[in-house]
Amino acid sequence: MFDLFDKLALGFRTCWEVVWMTDPVFGVSWPVPTNLVLCFMGCLIGTLIGVLPGVGPIATIAMLLPITYSLPPVGALIMLAGIYYGAQYGGSTTAILVNIPGEATSVVTVLDGHQMAKQGRAGTALAIAAIGSFIAGSFATLLIAAIGQPMQKMALLFGPADYFSLMVLGLMLSVVLAQGSLPKAIAMIVLGILLSTIGTDLETGEERLTLGFSEISDGIDFAVIAMGIFGFAEIMRNLERPEARDVVKGKIGGLMPSWAELRQSMPPIARGTIVGSILGILPGNGAVLGPFASYTLEKKIAKDPSRFGKGAIEGVAGPEAANNAGAQTAFIPLLTLGIPPNAVMALMLGAMTIKNVIPGPEVMTKQPALFWGMIASMWIGNLMLLIINLPLIGIWVRLLQVPYRLLFPAIVLFCCIGIYSIGNNPLDVALTACFGLLGYALLKFGFEPAPLLLGFVLGKLMEEKMRQALQRARGNFGTFLEEPLSAGLLAAAVILIVIAALPSIRRSRDTAFAE
Amino acid sequence: MDHAKTEGGAPADGKKTRGFNQDVGAGLLLIAIAGVGLLASSGLRLTLPSGVGPGLMPRSTSLILGAFGLLFVIQGLTRSGERLEAWSLRGVFFVIGAVAVFSASVRPLGLAIAGPLALILAALADSETRLREIIPFSIVLTAVCILLFKYMLRQPIPLAPFLLGY
Repeated sequence: MFDLFDKLALGFRTCWEVVWMTDPVFGVSWPVPTNLVLCFMGCLIGTLIGVLPGVGPIATIAMLLPITYSLPPVGALIMLAGIYYGAQYGGSTTAILVNIPGEATSVVTVLDGHQMAKQGRAGTALAIAAIGSFIAGSFATLLIAAIGQPMQKMALLFGPADYFSLMVLGLMLSVVLAQGSLPKAIAMIVLGILLSTIGTDLETGEERLTLGFSEISDGIDFAVIAMGIFGFAEIMRNLERPEARDVVKGKIGGLMPSWAELRQSMPPIARGTIVGSILGILPGNGAVLGPFASYTLEKKIAKDPSRFGKGAIEGVAGPEAANNAGAQTAFIPLLTLGIPPNAVMALMLGAMTIKNVIPGPEVMTKQPALFWGMIASMWIGNLMLLIINLPLIGIWVRLLQVPYRLLFPAIVLFCCIGIYSIGNNPLDVALTACFGLLGYALLKFGFEPAPLLLGFVLGKLMEEKMRQALQRARGNFGTFLEEPLSAGLLAAAVILIVIAALPSIRRSRDTAFAE
Repeated sequence: MDHAKTEGGAPADGKKTRGFNQDVGAGLLLIAIAGVGLLASSGLRLTLPSGVGPGLMPRSTSLILGAFGLLFVIQGLTRSGERLEAWSLRGVFFVIGAVAVFSASVRPLGLAIAGPLALILAALADSETRLREIIPFSIVLTAVCILLFKYMLRQPIPLAPFLLGY
């Protein structure tokens, strides 16, 4: 236990790290807590972009990735984490003030949050959402710190074959828990893995699938795929739908909830935190299921369930806490096993890889300052969101009124510049356009593209582990079934798919998402 | 993938249809991708003396993808599925066009020209766009981007090579 506090203290020291910077006006050196500043900037920019209607967290993070490319690893990851929380929180703000959810996780918040806003209690709803998120975030941060070490010790026992099978299981879990057609989701994962093989083969140095273009011999940057498929394709898709925006007019109302309201919200926040934390660890849309589960729970145990949907504060407090707890605990599989449970975490993994940080069991021992610094920054980021968001509500409201006809060209330009600055290569921009086209075609044919990103990010690691395992077993493919751990994981993956494909389960899964 | 661009299809009204529906389109797209994957990986060895060769992963994933494609085509032809949605050519043309123009012009002309150009082109994808509004907006936003990327983040992106030399 004391060990845990030691580690957390190391994390906080990393966050507080001071760099002496000379200011250009007076030529005097000032101590600047750079990591803290980056965390703050990340939260602020993340919220700024995340608030914009029609821009979800994946698009936000993909768009803002290039900004972090020039930073040192610790700072970059702390800023990225800040962007992530900001984007999450921005989505909730949009859900409460406009009747459209910014992202899947805030669908539930719309139900009662927007009703509260219509009754002139938008301020209270936003404040409760922020307080609930903060409490949930604090708990989830502690949970990550506590679970991290045992999980990491377990992960160190994994051989290459076990690792490969674990990734297969993770990918299958993520499609089973996701929305939409099961075979289509699996096909997207396979396509992602295929795309990940483009570029020079690490073992033989041969160029693979480059079709003679030497520009992609280093492989395709994952930001190119992410921005093409989640930036450009989404925009083309959004342009087809007539927009119905219902920004709350009139008063936001007082920010401070009354004591009665606070007392009313605390139990839902506590329950939401626990539900969200547990579901968040699960791969796939675990983080999305949290708010749904919490809302259903609150409605079930409420004395008067008919209040829900008409501005019940519990309907905001519980799901928002679950939302944030899940967003936080989704880091656990990424940081301890190196396996991202969803597309957002896949982006984080990609960003870490660029910084030569390979998440997984070794990070904690080899780069303790980075690991614990990031965890401490999670808590600081949550605190910052609480502090910066509430006073800035006026700005968020004004941002919400920016029409989409101005918003989307700005996103296009921002993405173009961002991609160019990844490698100062105009061809990357053209390649992103191609992926935009591919992404649009995929959307039109009913594919959900998030698993593609997951497959792409995990593909290289899977191939590497597969080759290591086969090398050890002298080319015997049976090794995946002979190693007991690996066999168990693969069996679990198969059972999972069979269960999910059963007609009765499929129906209940569809209704769960339809609600 | 190009074959798909010109398909009109019926608007998405939730009606289901057999024949050339969403599933058949999805299947054909996957088969096309699998074909490219197989062709491009045909020269790679499947095995090496030391174990797995560079060709195994690309070729096996291509084959799986092709199998899924076949499955979707058969499924679409035999069972009724979602109708194909209409493709908005205007959106695709201007958004993708704007990105392509940016890619081609950022080096020779610099961000000061390529920025507003791409932004205005992209904006034309929406029929509600007003030139009187979008032109000033494009200039202001480009200025903000120049400040952010060029001066704050110090990215070596050309500004206006013909005028400034960088």
